[in-house]
Amino acid sequence: MNNDAALDLRLRIGTAVLKNPVIAASGCYNRGAEYARIVDVSQYGAITLKSVTREPRLGNDMPRIMSTPGGMLNAIGLQGPGIEHFIAHEAPKLSTIPTAIIASVAGFSVDEFVYVAGRMDGLPNVVALELDVSCPNVDREGRCFAAEPETIAAVVSAVKARVSLPVIAKLMPNVADLKPIAKAAQEAGADALSLINAVRGMVIDVKAARPLLANVSGGLSGPAIRPIAVHAVWETASAVTIPLIGMGGIETGADALEFLFAGASGIAIGTANFRNPLVHIEVLAAIRQAMLERRFDTVSSLIGLARPDAHAVRAKE
Amino acid sequence: MPPGFWCVRIREPSIARAAQPAQYVAIDLPGPFSLRLPLGVWTAEADEFSVLFQEWGQRTARLARLAVGESISVIGPLGNAFPIPAAGARAVIVAGGLGVAAFWLLAKELRAARVDTTIILGARSNAHIIGAKELATFGHALEICTDDGSAGFHGNVIARLATLQAPDIMYGCGPPAMLRALCNHANDRGIECQVSLEETFACSMGTCWGCVVPVRRGCKQGTQYPKAPGEKRDHDFARVCADGTVFAASDLHWPA
Repeated sequence: MNNDAALDLRLRIGTAVLKNPVIAASGCYNRGAEYARIVDVSQYGAITLKSVTREPRLGNDMPRIMSTPGGMLNAIGLQGPGIEHFIAHEAPKLSTIPTAIIASVAGFSVDEFVYVAGRMDGLPNVVALELDVSCPNVDREGRCFAAEPETIAAVVSAVKARVSLPVIAKLMPNVADLKPIAKAAQEAGADALSLINAVRGMVIDVKAARPLLANVSGGLSGPAIRPIAVHAVWETASAVTIPLIGMGGIETGADALEFLFAGASGIAIGTANFRNPLVHIEVLAAIRQAMLERRFDTVSSLIGLARPDAHAVRAKE
Repeated sequence: MPPGFWCVRIREPSIARAAQPAQYVAIDLPGPFSLRLPLGVWTAEADEFSVLFQEWGQRTARLARLAVGESISVIGPLGNAFPIPAAGARAVIVAGGLGVAAFWLLAKELRAARVDTTIILGARSNAHIIGAKELATFGHALEICTDDGSAGFHGNVIARLATLQAPDIMYGCGPPAMLRALCNHANDRGIECQVSLEETFACSMGTCWGCVVPVRRGCKQGTQYPKAPGEKRDHDFARVCADGTVFAASDLHWPA
């Protein structure tokens, strides 16, 4: 009865259904073509594309990355082709990707988000849009859309009015309280939330006495930020009812389970792909194993298992 | 090897047999999280290849302390390769320090292609010359340059290069200042020059765009993206890990 083949791993994001809840995080996997040379990328439930902006962007000068204890710092600067070049040269290749695609949209104004999201709507294989409202590397007068409830609501509602695809808002951890921001995104119509984006940080080259990254600050990712991310999911799960996609330093199946148990419905893997391109296959196997051990048929039964309400339910059984 | 420098042999037939000149591998070391360590393939014979490195941080320390027979995860061979000219051409290889790691496979290929080759090896001192013995087996002319004059030519590789007759093609790998001088030397004289660059890599696969190098707009290895509105920089970027590591000197855009 409870055998491996019968497990229901599907993740629903609005009207989209992913075959499993393990997602490649934006900015780390391109379209999956590079990793497809060495691993089975089709085992990802979805691949999130690198964020696309309206205009082409050359990105930041070098150095853009730095290895840090338990992770890495990056400031790529949204280098990219711009939406028109993307539509002409990269979108035709999307139909060859052997799994679902989440297209990531970045912008510097509400209009820009709406325009790029509209152009992404209906591309082959694209089942949802993720709004990179929290990219910490681009200086929008020091502020991001994901920093305040009003601004994230404005972007989400404007994009929702324009597109038919489900919309995921990606939150950033550099805020005093995630809950009102998450609530505002949900009320504006977001179908899911991704959290967390990279944590802002910097490294100083002490020999040269200047910031190491050309951009001065960057986004910290990798296992160093995992406890921050798990806590962000834990906090946010109490504030909203839409699915959460947890990410931040997931390297193993146990790491992924932490996020699910904290209240995430899906998880995404970024930096860990660089070290272990098989990570998604290992994480998926661990999720199946956790379901089998608990005699769960659906992956959604794993969601929130560590939460106090789940303990109360278990105590009654 | 000089103190602190290592040569590690790795048995993996699929890499040893496929590696082309200037290709590299990305090595994962056991232990807490770190990015993969990219190292050029030095020698490659039968089922084994080797890598050269200097111990300078956590990853290289871990690699240096692996026990004989221990297993590690290696992705490769990665990156593009040096082009090989037609038989009878004259080539000069310019290696600075550990940059020599890019040249065992090239020296072998140039020998097989009957290219008349001179190899210039530069280092701080005689004790820091690496790889001369291994390269000598191919029968090419071999020149040593040392900064302190403790062996061979007293001075840097570019100064030595300037005393040679202009070749048809030059190859370079070494510290950035040396490569820049080599590229300028080649570009000033209209000599084809191919250099293998080193950068900090995160993914080593071409997905993260963390290791870019400025290249001439229109260069094949660049992004070919349209120029951004208001963009003041007149170059493009290419990924050292996936579009390189080999670039033509005439395509590189050195910062002012």
